[in-house]
Formats: sequence, structure tokens, C-alpha cells
Amino acid sequence: MKKLEFVLIALTVFAFGCHKQNDSRIHVREGVASDTLGSNIVTRPVTHAFSALIGEGIEVAKAVTRRNDAGFLELYVNGYNKSYDTKRFRYRVEWLDADGIVIETKTSVWLPMSAMGKSPFTIKSVAPRPQAVDFRMDTRKWE
Amino acid sequence: MKTKVLFLMVFVCLLAAGCSQETKMIDTMHDEGKAVMALDYRDFDMAASKMVQSMLASGSLKKPDGGRYVVATGRIINDTTQRIDTDQLMVKIETEILNSGQAVMTSAVGSGTDKLLHETRELRDSEEFDPNTVAKRQTLIAPELTISGKIFQRNIRYDRNTQQIEYYFQLMLSDVKSGLRFWQDETLIGKRGSNRSVSWQ
Repeated sequence: MKKLEFVLIALTVFAFGCHKQNDSRIHVREGVASDTLGSNIVTRPVTHAFSALIGEGIEVAKAVTRRNDAGFLELYVNGYNKSYDTKRFRYRVEWLDADGIVIETKTSVWLPMSAMGKSPFTIKSVAPRPQAVDFRMDTRKWE
Repeated sequence: MKTKVLFLMVFVCLLAAGCSQETKMIDTMHDEGKAVMALDYRDFDMAASKMVQSMLASGSLKKPDGGRYVVATGRIINDTTQRIDTDQLMVKIETEILNSGQAVMTSAVGSGTDKLLHETRELRDSEEFDPNTVAKRQTLIAPELTISGKIFQRNIRYDRNTQQIEYYFQLMLSDVKSGLRFWQDETLIGKRGSNRSVSWQ
């Protein structure tokens, strides 16, 4: 009996070990891609529960700014939703001038954003004034 | 007897005051109020913000030979069941176009026309006004670009108790001389709620 258990575990580990990593630019979702520990019908409840227990959520990987051809600063925030659930949140970008003072604009309002579970996301924002040289961004829960 | 009546009246007054809904100012910077089926100021803020960012990022307001474009606001059609003053959207967009430093808005023609611009020109023949202070002929500048658009809604029965309302904000920027469209975009705001909620006001 113990032998059978050992074989089953070995097979499972072996199967996950053979799992090929896709090209990082292509995201193959759960149900489409081959099973992983997080998507396998047996292990999924445990991994999802563990993810919720430790409170996995959004992580921001990089914020890139560049000045576009029209002379406005563009912001690209790249992040990843570590949770298994879709995370809905709001964000607001404020633009700062060379003195670090906030530029008051009608575009600095709370905007909705949604990132699917275990997926990368990008937020794009454009400064409406050419004087903007920096930014600050805030997030809050989607009520 | 009198004391009893007085006591009763005071008690009723206090009870009525306690039941009245207190008026509160909305924190428009961080409003955590529930979403409503109709369009509210948050929807207009969101639509205007997205439209302005899209327009500026496109570079369509940047004049190739320098200088600033003269932009007129055309017709914004309200094809929803709500009584919307489309200025609620357009004033935000016009403000940002002006503040971007790339274009100026005109009050001479279009939906943002200032009637006084034309009325003051009718004073040319008046003997009451110093002719040097009255605007001369051919001094108004014609617009080079126009912004026009539409707000419309679709009501969809989602299930027995739920309705889905889709609000579409569409704007376009066209060149007056050539008639070519330089930019256009659409923002969708979708709401799902009880069938008993009404979206018309």
C-alpha cells in the first residue's frame, strides 16, 4: 500500500517536473495550459486557500516614464497579480513639476483597474501638461 | 394636562429631528459612495480623464509648424434617457486642452459660443460707444479643429432581476479645412444592477 502512495507522489512530482515554461511574453491561463500545482484539480483548493491565507495581491514590478512626441510625460506601470483571484482596484496618478509641486488637473481622478489572477498587467497614464517631470501614484480598493 | 401636552409635543419634535436624514458634503476627492445606475460625476470625471489622456497621447493637438491650434466645440449629442448637460463632460476636456498649451478654444462659434462676442460687434454703428474700443471687422479667428461627439446608452436585460446599462462616450477631433479626422476614441462605462433601479432622471 505504501509503495502505491510512493509511486503516486513520485508520478505527480515527475509530471510537474516535466512542465515546460512558456515564452514569458505569452500568458497561457489556467484551464488552457497544462496543470500546475495551482491549477491541478487535486492540489488547487490547497494552493488557492494558502494564497488567500497569506494575502497575496498586486505587486508592482517597474514604473517607466518617457516623453512622447507631443512633449507629454507618459507613465507605464508594470505589475503582477500574485493572487489567484481577479483584483479590482482604483488608482490615481498625480503629476509633479520640476519643483516637486503637484500640477492640478482634471485627469487626476480615481480610475478603475482590473488584473486577472496570476497575470501581469500594465497601467498607462499621460500627463496633460508638458511641465510634468515626475509622478506619484496611489491605489485603493474598488468599493 | 398642559404639561402633558407640552411634554408630548417636545417628545414628538425630538423624535422627528432624530429621524431626519442628515445632509453631508460629498468627498469628491475620495468618494467611497456606492455606484448608481445613472451617470454621476464620477463617471464624467473618468470619461473625461481617459479621453483627454488619449487625445494628448495621440499628438493630434501638436501643430506641425509650431503655434497653437484654434479648436471649436461642436455638437455633443445626448442620446441617453437622462437629462444631461453635455458641458459636464466637455468643460473638463476643454479645460485640459487649454491648459495643455497646445491649443486654444474659441468662443466665437460652436456650442461654446459667447453671444456677447457678436452683440458687442453690433455696437459699431452706435454713437454711444467710442469706435476705437469696438472690435473691428475680420478680427475673429476661425477654428482649425472641431470636437464633436455623442453619449448614448444601451439597456440590456441581464437576467430576471438584473439589468445592464452600457454608457458609451464617443468623441472625435476633425480638421475644418480638409474634413479629415485626426483623433477619435470611445469610453465605455457599464453598470449592472437591480431591474427596479431607474437610469432616467
